Amino acid sequence: MASTSTKFSTLPAKDKAAILSITGLAVLVRLYKIWQPSSVVFDEVHFGGFASKYIKGRYFMDVHPPLAKLLITLAGYLAGYDGDFDFKDIGKDYIEAGVPYVAMRLLPATLGVLVIPLSFLTLKAYGCTSLTSSLGALLVLFENALTTQSRFILLDSPLVFFTALTAYAWANFQNQPAFRSSWYWYLFLTGLSLGATVSVKWVGLFTIAWVGVTTVTGLWHLLGDLSVSPKQYVKHFFWRAVFLIGVPVIFYMLMFGIHFICLVNPGDGDGFMSSEFQATLNNKKMVDTPADVAFGSHITIRHLNTQGGYLHSHDHLYPTGSKQQQITLYPHKDDNNLWLVENATEVDVDMRALPPVYLRDGDVIRLQHVSTNRRLHSHDLRPPVTEADWQNEVSAYGYKGFAGDANDNFRIEILESKSKPGKAQEYVRAIETKFRLVHTITGCVLFSHKVKLPSWAYEQQEVTCAKQGTLPNSIWYIEYNEHPTLPADAEKVNYPKVGFFKKFAELQSVMWETNAGLIASHTWDSRPEAWPYLRRGINFWVRDHKQVYLIGNIFIWWLSTAGLVIYALFKIVTILRWQRGYKDYSLPSVQAFDSTVGTNFVAWALHYFPFYLMKRQLFLHHYLPALYFAILGVVIAWDLFCKKVLRHRAIITAATIGILAIAVYTFVMLSPLAYAEPWTKYQCENAKLMKHWDFDCNVFPTDLSKYDSSHIANVSSVDGSVVEASSTATSSFQSAKDTIGEALPPRDEL
Amino acid sequence: MATAGSTTGADAHGALRQRKSKPSEPGREPVEQFFQDKPKTVIGEYYRDEDDISLDTVEKYVVPMLFTILSFVTRMYRIGISDIVTWDEAHFGKFGSHYLKREFYFDVHPPLGKMLVGLSGYLCGYNGSFEFKSGDHYPEDVNYTFMRIFNATFGALCVPVAYYTAKSLKFSTLATWLVTLMVLCENSYATISRFILLDSMLMLFTFTSFLGLAKFHEWRRHPFTSGWWFWLTFTGVNIGCVTSVKWVGMLTTALVGIYTIHDLWDKFGDLKMPVVTYAKHWISRIVCLIILPLTIYLACFKIHFLILENSGPGDAQMSSLFQANLRNSDLTKGPLDVAIGSKFTLKNMGYGGGLLHSHVQTFPEGSEQQQVTCYHHKDSNNEWVFYPIRGSPEYDPNDSEIRFIESGDAIRLIHENTGRNLHSHVMPAPITKDQNEVSCYGNLTVGDDKDNWIIEIVSDTAHSDNRVHTLTSSLRFRHQVLGCYLRAANVNLPPWGFKQVEVTCDKTNNPRDRFTHWNVEMHVNPRLPQGDAKAYKSPFLRDFVHLNVAMMTSNNALVPDPDKRDELASRPWQWPVLNVGLRMCGWSNDIVKYYLLGNPFVVWGSTASVAMLAIVTFVYLCRWQRKYVDMTPDEVSHFIYSGLYPALGWGLHYFPFILMARVTYVHHYLPALYFAIMTFGFLFDFGTRKLSWWARYLAYLLAYAAVIGVFALYSPISFGIIGNHENYDYLNWLSTWTI
Repeated sequence: MASTSTKFSTLPAKDKAAILSITGLAVLVRLYKIWQPSSVVFDEVHFGGFASKYIKGRYFMDVHPPLAKLLITLAGYLAGYDGDFDFKDIGKDYIEAGVPYVAMRLLPATLGVLVIPLSFLTLKAYGCTSLTSSLGALLVLFENALTTQSRFILLDSPLVFFTALTAYAWANFQNQPAFRSSWYWYLFLTGLSLGATVSVKWVGLFTIAWVGVTTVTGLWHLLGDLSVSPKQYVKHFFWRAVFLIGVPVIFYMLMFGIHFICLVNPGDGDGFMSSEFQATLNNKKMVDTPADVAFGSHITIRHLNTQGGYLHSHDHLYPTGSKQQQITLYPHKDDNNLWLVENATEVDVDMRALPPVYLRDGDVIRLQHVSTNRRLHSHDLRPPVTEADWQNEVSAYGYKGFAGDANDNFRIEILESKSKPGKAQEYVRAIETKFRLVHTITGCVLFSHKVKLPSWAYEQQEVTCAKQGTLPNSIWYIEYNEHPTLPADAEKVNYPKVGFFKKFAELQSVMWETNAGLIASHTWDSRPEAWPYLRRGINFWVRDHKQVYLIGNIFIWWLSTAGLVIYALFKIVTILRWQRGYKDYSLPSVQAFDSTVGTNFVAWALHYFPFYLMKRQLFLHHYLPALYFAILGVVIAWDLFCKKVLRHRAIITAATIGILAIAVYTFVMLSPLAYAEPWTKYQCENAKLMKHWDFDCNVFPTDLSKYDSSHIANVSSVDGSVVEASSTATSSFQSAKDTIGEALPPRDEL
Repeated sequence: MATAGSTTGADAHGALRQRKSKPSEPGREPVEQFFQDKPKTVIGEYYRDEDDISLDTVEKYVVPMLFTILSFVTRMYRIGISDIVTWDEAHFGKFGSHYLKREFYFDVHPPLGKMLVGLSGYLCGYNGSFEFKSGDHYPEDVNYTFMRIFNATFGALCVPVAYYTAKSLKFSTLATWLVTLMVLCENSYATISRFILLDSMLMLFTFTSFLGLAKFHEWRRHPFTSGWWFWLTFTGVNIGCVTSVKWVGMLTTALVGIYTIHDLWDKFGDLKMPVVTYAKHWISRIVCLIILPLTIYLACFKIHFLILENSGPGDAQMSSLFQANLRNSDLTKGPLDVAIGSKFTLKNMGYGGGLLHSHVQTFPEGSEQQQVTCYHHKDSNNEWVFYPIRGSPEYDPNDSEIRFIESGDAIRLIHENTGRNLHSHVMPAPITKDQNEVSCYGNLTVGDDKDNWIIEIVSDTAHSDNRVHTLTSSLRFRHQVLGCYLRAANVNLPPWGFKQVEVTCDKTNNPRDRFTHWNVEMHVNPRLPQGDAKAYKSPFLRDFVHLNVAMMTSNNALVPDPDKRDELASRPWQWPVLNVGLRMCGWSNDIVKYYLLGNPFVVWGSTASVAMLAIVTFVYLCRWQRKYVDMTPDEVSHFIYSGLYPALGWGLHYFPFILMARVTYVHHYLPALYFAIMTFGFLFDFGTRKLSWWARYLAYLLAYAAVIGVFALYSPISFGIIGNHENYDYLNWLSTWTI
């Protein structure tokens, strides 16, 4: 194996020419008609939308880290995009709205093109010949799924690019003599690209796992090398830690730093964050509020755990249960969030006129809704949505002048461990004191959870009184506080300032929870066991009798999967033989095969098997990084096969051309689905190589000539093809329904 | 740790290097003189041989006897003082009653443990009539003390088993005593053994499985001798029993499996072993460790079915044919032929299938029409009526002509209680999004042709005509408009669907998919003659698989509500650090209270030992990679089999709970704790082996004193807290304990 690095500048002229011509071809193939289709495709709904929000600076929540979205935004911004388009539905037109979508699509497309020379250089670093390296690059180039995915405003092309960059740098690092400048450079590049990969999607953690596993085995072998002194060993260890842990962590955090700098205004992602976090956004900053809360104060009460908002009531009744006035949790500031604190034993005294009597732990209060004069009330009826017997309904009950009844009484229980140490653990203080509200008669505790009420309550969050609710969902605090007789110079409080690290940590945990919560199944999702044999694709876009459908080049997929199976068999046989005392591993070619092919197949396994543990919805494109490594592995195996078995140049060339020809043929056959090109129903049916491939051939006319004639209207309609973007935080937060395309037939009449 | 015996003998070590930490190179049979003798004589000391043989002999008989007596005392002392149904006695006592009443019931656990509970009731003359409601007082005629003693016997026997296991693992005598003492003085073991629960049986069979493994390992140099066969069979029987008590027994089975694979792999590398001998090793394992346990497991279910011959609360979980064979079942009277106007329930024929069900609640998403689910309990909402489709002659109950239903007929299914039609439409099902939603829609007059279903008979076990028959016909229901098939495949709905099973309309036409097969179960039609369903038998293996799938489905549905605070449940991370205990009964002053909490010294010590062992192993591995020689092959072997295998056992019995979605409790840690105790014993032994004799004795004495002392301190929680619990506040070492 070459102990030099495979950089473009140090390659022989022949290789340079190969790279340049393959890259040129890639530009043609990958960018061909990139403006087509000229409307929103699949998850451009989300990622285009995020670009708009970055430009407007509106805070949003997404389960993916920011790097790729920032790059897409940058591309759009440089092309003059103003962020006014909302990317709301698949199929929404770009041209009329004047969105520079081509520039935005060019970013993933360019990165997709760059993967191709990178794969060439990586294969060279593994010691492949120029011919097989070219073959590998061309297989990556003519892969339909990689092509389709890189043509739209999606994150997977940047992800594959940074994964490929890591593979390139890491392969070269292995070839460098220790502690030379090139050794440091490739180690640094590996760390940097790892940081970039994980800053695109968390799937980058699998790439980190791969580099981690290979580093640990490398260090283990180094430990067994007695010529390496302990001091040198520590040095090896130290620099790896710096570059492979330190650099990615810093890069990752830097991306979030930029993310926070860009998003300064409130937006639809606020609801995911804590109040302290929200208070850092423009317009959401709160004016200081008096600290001490007294009987007679007007207050707003906020739920701590769900970020669901303020205890709210409005002049509408429950259609179920008691049919009394609704109590909900409402995320925005509103006059209906305002409550008057009354002393349960002295309801008829106007406390607002008297000097303030401060609220203490254990006080029994009644809360009167200021705008409707009804009081917070609970009784032994089931809540409207959660029909559990350990939860009671909470309503607003009474009228002006009514003194209320004992079911209005709630006792304040301060939670010392959650409240600010000092006075706030004894007296109820705005923001600083966290407390529970215990219904004195039934003993249940005011509770709210992430359950939405139906449309009669405007889909606001349900509030109940729970006897066995979890503690975090039972905690409340006071945000706004006003009392007329408080002195003007009374102590004021506000949310504590949140620094970058706290915001960063909070966002990570919210992303994690949201990601884990994406478990609803999706029309086009698939499970990992279906990926290696390409069982099914994803419908990206259907319109005007054209279609975009994500499907791989089945020849290349099966070839790579076959390579994996062959390697697994090889490994099993050699291990069995080794246990029986055979010395296969003393042969250099077996060692080379095992280490170079092996490392790529380990990378495949680490990018593939963890998906089995994930319960969230998964898609075919999650397989793409694994596919890249599988292609590298099978090409390296092919290279060794050529060198050891085929040997003759003519045979090797012929075989290589043969493989390539089949790959290109398959690519061309399926390409109309990648480019949204005109197709006929007949051609479409013929391209359905597997019975589970469910692109809809009824979309296409029987004859190409119909595309330029008025007959087009006669072609059967697009029935039953549901095009739907994948769920992300935003879509699931707003409404699950608004991304279903118009192809969905209307609901039954009822 | 150990002083480094550090000659860097690279040559001598070359062989070892290749085969990581396995001392068994070909031609390298480390002459373990130790094991060359007959295993029986090697019970003595490993690291210390100055002891007198006759003393050893005394120790061999007297000490285990002493421990056993103490064990019976600690497990049975004051066993009957609490006369109320405590903790899960409510479940297992009730299941035991079902055996006595011979009524079919359903539960997520396999039957062996519960049959033993039933046996204990039978032995004391209990008639099965008590309901075992949680917190109730036992009536006069239930000899609960005897039933508890029966259970406690299993718990008590754990102690001698631990003693012999430690001996087999070649622990020093002092370490053997320590380990046995730790099991004896483990409060949680002493507590949980005193009640009518499955845990004492589970523990005993786990312990005996590991004993079998350790003994078998001791005999490994003498293959195919009678002792070797005995212990192999013993292991197989016990993993069969442990799995038949609770499915966690599979984890014990996994430990035995890993040992077996490791063992066979080493033998595969033994170039001198003839192929025939090697094949014999394989066959012996397959027979004793796979076929034998499986037979025991099957036999338990066979007995279960034989005893429970009457219809009972668990009928609905089983196939219709099985139910029809239970005595007093109401299915036997259904008319044979099904006709328009017949009232019936429809059973899904997939493994674990339920009854087609609907209720007034609507889907919160999708069409928002009335829910259709599959339900495993009998209820009037499972009842449907066959109606003719719109446009064909109306059904008139007084019409003399009876219209029988045949394969290919288009019909409507009307839900009896709500009068709505079974309906489907192009709308993704709530969970399985690529299939169509099935709902209940309209009424007798309102509706459309999406209410029409075409009946297809897939097969019939008893008849060959074209008519639809009760129980024996496997039917599919094809939606007339969409062509999809009615399907239910054990996918549970979210809480809004009460965790019942989702019903969908599957667009793929796969006639062999049993989840699309249905049969008519209960059938009422006063105009038709009664049938006799006893004529058809249900094959045992089918019932067995059916019941096991149903158990798995129910087990998976035991997911805790994330909003509900469950004071009894706990998270796996809390167990090894003893962050949490469990109140086993009410906490008022007038009842005897029991608190399930481990002996803090034992739990914390054993957890620390597992972590410590990982560190020690890592350090030794690194030193080995740097070519230091710290241990002889014998010592390496001892380290692996007596140290790492118990630690592996701990990991196997602990980590799977972290992955489980179902609700977990403190007592799930008890089997893992045993392996942690063994690890503790090994590490204590290993750490003190090079100390001078007085330092060793001192260390052991301190450890004995700590184990006994802490047990004595905490004994009230095991023997029962009488009176005000506040008197015991001093036991709450951690703020999270709630004694």
